Amino acid sequence: MNVKRVLAISRKNLRSLKHDRRTVGFLVMMPLLLITIFGYTFGGEVKDLDVYIVNFDQTPADQSAAQALINDLATRDTMNQVQVFGPDSADTAAVDASLAKVREAKAWALMVFEEDFTADVAAALEALRNGTFSMPGSFRVYIDGTNPNVVSAIMTDLQTSIQKVLASPVYGVVPPIAATPELVYGEDAEFIDFFAPGVMGLAAMMVTFMLSIISFVHERSQSTLDRLLSSPATEGEIVAGYALAFGLVGLIQSMVILLTAVLLFDIQVQGNVILALSIILLFGIGNQGLGFVLSSVAKNEFQAVQFMPIILFPQILLSGVFWPIEAVPDLLRPASYCLPLTYAVEGLRSVMIRGWGVGDVWLQLTVLVGFAAVMLLLSAYGLKKRR
Amino acid sequence: MAESVSRKGSAEKIADSPDVTQPVVASKLRKEFDDLVAVDDLDMRIGRGMLYGLIGPNGSGKTTAIKMFVGLLRPTSGHAQLLGENVPLRRNIHRIGYMPQELAIYPDLTVHENLELFAALYSIEDSDFGKREQELLKVIDLAERRDSLVSQLSGGMKHRTSLACALVHGPELVFLDEPTVGVDPELRVGFWSYFQALKASWKTVVLTTHYMDEAVRCDIVGMMRAGKLIAEGTPKDLMARAGASDLETAFLEFSRRASA
Repeated sequence: MNVKRVLAISRKNLRSLKHDRRTVGFLVMMPLLLITIFGYTFGGEVKDLDVYIVNFDQTPADQSAAQALINDLATRDTMNQVQVFGPDSADTAAVDASLAKVREAKAWALMVFEEDFTADVAAALEALRNGTFSMPGSFRVYIDGTNPNVVSAIMTDLQTSIQKVLASPVYGVVPPIAATPELVYGEDAEFIDFFAPGVMGLAAMMVTFMLSIISFVHERSQSTLDRLLSSPATEGEIVAGYALAFGLVGLIQSMVILLTAVLLFDIQVQGNVILALSIILLFGIGNQGLGFVLSSVAKNEFQAVQFMPIILFPQILLSGVFWPIEAVPDLLRPASYCLPLTYAVEGLRSVMIRGWGVGDVWLQLTVLVGFAAVMLLLSAYGLKKRR
Repeated sequence: MAESVSRKGSAEKIADSPDVTQPVVASKLRKEFDDLVAVDDLDMRIGRGMLYGLIGPNGSGKTTAIKMFVGLLRPTSGHAQLLGENVPLRRNIHRIGYMPQELAIYPDLTVHENLELFAALYSIEDSDFGKREQELLKVIDLAERRDSLVSQLSGGMKHRTSLACALVHGPELVFLDEPTVGVDPELRVGFWSYFQALKASWKTVVLTTHYMDEAVRCDIVGMMRAGKLIAEGTPKDLMARAGASDLETAFLEFSRRASA
């Protein structure tokens, strides 16, 4: 293999990109957009949910359990209490008007505390101590369940407040069982820390695959491939030239994503950045090889683009980019383990969040090296067979 | 001479020979695509320093024959030798040049970048390349468009760039598949004087053409029909043998005789 010829082919591919400003713009903006949008939508906690509260509880405010709950909810920003009807203004008209707001989707929830709420709570506590039974103090929560995330955010926030109020000196109820999480990895990790490596893998995959399949479809339709193959350049040199150029593009792109994620969302990078980028490089080379191989089946750009969703969607859904692999149904789990993205994402996560080194991600590295090697060999073989 | 080779040569591989007085030798060269016989047991010898023109209608096998010579297609049977080496070439591959029928240059690169790529693939040193590029740009009259993207050039300019890419490494033997299609008459004259210059420096040029007025300028013309070489000789000789006053009539006459 002649290094100069490999470099000449790489340079040709990079130069083509350089002259195509729109593609360069796309290469930089696509991952930026991806990480920013995902970062803000997935990364942010659900907050400022508009809610209405109608409080009929007749117990004076300083002793009222309802009021204590309302006050505690206000200390966090999950819910935004648009209007609270206190015991003096609470009536059925207030309930109807507030419920109308929920029905019109102007608010997410309405909470109604009945007259005897505090008394019921006290009675239930008393019964608990005496070993008898009394109905617990309960309040109704009308929720717009369109979005399960919203429901879960509201209910979780309510549970938090209920436990806090019960634990306060007034009631002094401490739950007899407590689970204390001791984080082995991922101290202060947020959701974005979990999926940023996924987005990096995804972007590298899309870009390297697309660049290579489209460039190579061009190479065939323009007949420039005939010229390359009639020159001293060997199949291996052509394949290596492609892998080098587009692997590099995928790598640079991942660096853009990583930098953005660190600067904008302050994500964690516990492990070695070089190791993380090496995983991306291997994965990018494998994917450009896949594009190279599939380009022989595509007659034109349009057919090439049709491969995108076929390659993309199964990997997005099955490779643990946004959900853990454990969320994949048993039936499809074997498919997950066959997809290279699974290993790229798991490897990246282990390095970035767990801070693992080469010895800990050897499995992922081996799979990715194998993936890249097989794809490159297939590419070269495909070119040879063409003659 | 051709007959003495063809009897035995059809079965055995021709030994590599240092004989470069005949840079192109084909022996029973055959290519089949499914049911179609594109090149039908072609025997051909081209002498060094010749300007050889292959003529014949579309589908007569000219391009397929050339693709087998330059190693893009594997012959179904038979053999070919270029510069004394059996195809596909390894040792001598850098000594031949090829201009495909299609443009086969990168539209998203400049003229200079296209030339530089092919020079690099043929291991031309940077210092030699600079001189070579200037020379070629003069021939193809594109010195001022050196840094223009190929996609922004006119059809004729693209064609000239494609020719330059085939010649950038100074090959001894060059295959040009329809080099003058879509080139305006004035520039065609320029091309032909360049082909003559190549020939004068003992380079061998094999080209295909549709223009009979061009074929007349070749030293030797080979007429192809249905994958076979039906006649070969100097243009004068061919016309005399066919009793025709021009090559076109001569071709029709040979064609008639071949199918008779």
